[in-house]
Amino acid sequence: MSKLVYNEMLKIVRKKRLWVIAAIIAVLVALFTYAQYRETEELRKRLGTTDWRTQLQQQIVDLQNRLQSPSMSEEWRKYLQIRLKQQQYYLEHNINPSAPGAPTFMRTFIENAIDLFLPLLVMVVAADLVSSEASAGTIKLLLVRPVKRWKILLSKYIALLLSVSLIMLMAAVLSYAISGLVFGYGGFRLPLLTGFVPQGEDLNTANVHMIPQWKYILIELGLAAFVSVVVGTLTFMFSVLLRSTAAVMGIMLAALISGAILSNMVSSWHSAKYLFMVNLRLTDYIKGAAPPIEGMTLGFSMAVLAVWGLAGLLVAFFVFMRRDVY
Amino acid sequence: MRRSTVALLIAVAALSGVLWLGGLALAVQDQFFSAAKPPTKEQRPPTAETRQHDEKMDIVALGDSLTRGTGDESGKGYVGYMVDALRRQTDKPIRVTNLAIRGLRSDGLLRQLGQPEIQRQVAMADLIVMTIGGNDLFQGGEALKLDRKQLNEAKRRYVANLDRIFAALRRFNSEAVIFAIGLYNPFGDLDDAKRTSAVVRDWNFASAEVAARYPNIVAVPTFDLFALHVNDYLYSDHFHPNAAGYKRIGERVASLITLTEEGEQ
Repeated sequence: MSKLVYNEMLKIVRKKRLWVIAAIIAVLVALFTYAQYRETEELRKRLGTTDWRTQLQQQIVDLQNRLQSPSMSEEWRKYLQIRLKQQQYYLEHNINPSAPGAPTFMRTFIENAIDLFLPLLVMVVAADLVSSEASAGTIKLLLVRPVKRWKILLSKYIALLLSVSLIMLMAAVLSYAISGLVFGYGGFRLPLLTGFVPQGEDLNTANVHMIPQWKYILIELGLAAFVSVVVGTLTFMFSVLLRSTAAVMGIMLAALISGAILSNMVSSWHSAKYLFMVNLRLTDYIKGAAPPIEGMTLGFSMAVLAVWGLAGLLVAFFVFMRRDVY
Repeated sequence: MRRSTVALLIAVAALSGVLWLGGLALAVQDQFFSAAKPPTKEQRPPTAETRQHDEKMDIVALGDSLTRGTGDESGKGYVGYMVDALRRQTDKPIRVTNLAIRGLRSDGLLRQLGQPEIQRQVAMADLIVMTIGGNDLFQGGEALKLDRKQLNEAKRRYVANLDRIFAALRRFNSEAVIFAIGLYNPFGDLDDAKRTSAVVRDWNFASAEVAARYPNIVAVPTFDLFALHVNDYLYSDHFHPNAAGYKRIGERVASLITLTEEGEQ
């Protein structure tokens, strides 16, 4: 078994995909770092101060002004309302939620990458794991060996899990290393608040507690890895079902992008919360942002994702075991 | 060599995989099973950060849409034009903190002043400019309440709130000059201009009376600025000033500020 996994890993390494992924992450992180840097500079210039409390207060006032605008969707209003309460809470407790530093950058990077960027990178590895062997015909060579079929597929799946782990590691290390050049490497012990529970327009703060940033980041990385594994598993399933890698990519891309779009408009379609793609933003629950559909919680989203992932895995194995290969 | 690279990658991946699992476990533990200990409010030392007699001039702007600059395409508002005028007179760095919120009424401002950070900003200010009362009087810019009973009731509440606002401002900052900018009549061109103007004058008078109870609070009239050709100075909503209107207000306030006085007093 370990030899099989090794073999599969070797194939992935040979395709040089992981290096491409590393390069993509590096370029994007550099880009975001620069954008963030420009934004802080701009803010500093506009307010003439580096005092974060003044800046946060200004953001609060800006939010309050935007909330006054009459032509605003109910959802957006709710979202802003909650963000406002949260910023107010941070200010009252004298905590700067965006103290500059590589860890803060890393945290926001993960939060923004969890629903699209990281799954996309995982897809790059997962999409052709099986389909390429089917289209190239090498699957036959694999299957004529005296090894059980499920073992072959399992070895591929384990190789995928290992790749996901590597991608997460690259994202974490690169975002820390590159942004640190600009923002400095300190800030892991910055206290952050979590446990906000949005309730309608209100924010329940009964469960709010403080955790250091390193713990916060570790939690987010764990959740991002979970999301990536689920998306990877579903991609894996399509890779088993379809011979064309392009079709696999197309389907998964459509699903992911529709998730991003749907999250903005499904608030009144309640059963949409059982779709996996509107449940990807797990880090929002840690942050305390309003969920796309009222009543969604971290536990709910994790359960939905787990069910989708397990179902995908079962389908993949079931189909792979039964299929005639000729 | 390739062999060892792959083996190494597998080992690294497995190790970091353990880390991600740990993170996931931590997420579950922290979000579902941790007993919440709400953080205690940090008592900020009220000292240290009061008004500094430094080279910089800190201006805090409070109030409603007028201070926000609604209606000015450039977004400056009278605060922006005021600062422009001041910059022509001095090289001192000027810092503006605009805390105004559109649609704010006097009770809203009073609530806003309850926030510790707002209090800190006020305490650090060298100069405070504010507009309030417009939304108490004109219901969000739609009309003037002309029912006498309603009007008197609104005024009573407004005056009481204004008194508490000024008292609060003086409590947080006993030195900074406060310019309380008065109202103009945006309906001066309409048929019942006589009546509406009388109501606005009355309202301004009441505000000025309250301001006079406190040291260094100056009620700045704007009524006269908009008395003639009111529509030349109003935005297309016929309520907020346009750029020209804001410019007039800003220049009037700027003309009242004596720059030498700051830092010497």
